[in-house]
Amino acid sequence: MDSTHLPFPSAPFPSGTGEHAAAVTRIAERHWHALEDDEVVGRAEVSRRPDGRLFLSVDAWHGAVFDQLAYAMLAELPRPLYTVVDEADLDLIVQWERAGFAPRRREWEYVVPTDPRLTGLGAPSSPDGVTVLALGEADGGLLHALDSAIHDEIEATVGWHTMPAEVLSGPDGRLRPRPANYAVAVAAGHYVGLVRVTPLPRQPRIGLIAVRSDHRRRGIARLLLAEVLGWAHQRGNTTASADVHQSNSAAIALFEGAGATRTSSNLELVLR
Amino acid sequence: MARANGGIQLEGIVIECLRNANFTVELQNGHKVLAHISGKIRKNYIKILPFDRVLVEISPYDLDRGRIMFRYRG
Repeated sequence: MDSTHLPFPSAPFPSGTGEHAAAVTRIAERHWHALEDDEVVGRAEVSRRPDGRLFLSVDAWHGAVFDQLAYAMLAELPRPLYTVVDEADLDLIVQWERAGFAPRRREWEYVVPTDPRLTGLGAPSSPDGVTVLALGEADGGLLHALDSAIHDEIEATVGWHTMPAEVLSGPDGRLRPRPANYAVAVAAGHYVGLVRVTPLPRQPRIGLIAVRSDHRRRGIARLLLAEVLGWAHQRGNTTASADVHQSNSAAIALFEGAGATRTSSNLELVLR
Repeated sequence: MARANGGIQLEGIVIECLRNANFTVELQNGHKVLAHISGKIRKNYIKILPFDRVLVEISPYDLDRGRIMFRYRG
């Protein structure tokens, strides 16, 4: 929990009516419970992401209880408010829409094989003068400078909001990158591209692939992808996962070109 | 079997990821439930994969339904 406090009322919330009437209580600054016959039949929580946005979650066994919890939270929290749902979970989407939320952005979840025989990335042709530093080999200062430059370029063009939610973090939208999680492309001694990997034991996660604007369309992103998929294959992972914003056609083409399959999608909803 | 805040919670193993955001989880007692993931897990982008060990809260209204509350490491 961060140090930013949210309003915390002392007055009770109204109870619902009907078959699943529950009493909703705000039990802590960021937690609500719905009680029915002294049993917890629903929970709700608000949390602040590192980028400052407030995200809600509600778990209830019945729609009426969901509505009560949402009503209680929305009555006390400032706008805008966000939540994220699996797009296949139609019931949950309807419940949030009933509370006034509307779709804001969508991310596709991809699973990409790591076997070079499946990806076709076994021996990618390296653009002239470009080499790749493996995970953990990059200089921390230079990596941070590259990360900042790429962030600024994206912000000035398509907007950082089009990045996967996983990288929309840090006090100003940035995290200081850890070299252990990055492979870096180097051209003429300069860092020009990066790929970020979360080395989860069973399925590594590719969080971001980005190349400086003046080095794009040379196959550097493909080279970086080949590097991390090769690393994952060597450690015994048969697949890796990646999230891609629906508008990022270049990333979609890159992953699908490597044999990635779309497995699901996350839908971010907002109440303004 | 544990009861946390009124709900029955059991450990289980994910045996199948279904396409409609649900999972089949085999509980320690051999019972299989259809489970979805909690909002907190979804909000934190925690991935659930086959063979993951998870904590499931069983619905008090339908013992064949559950909610994945936690994914254990390893």
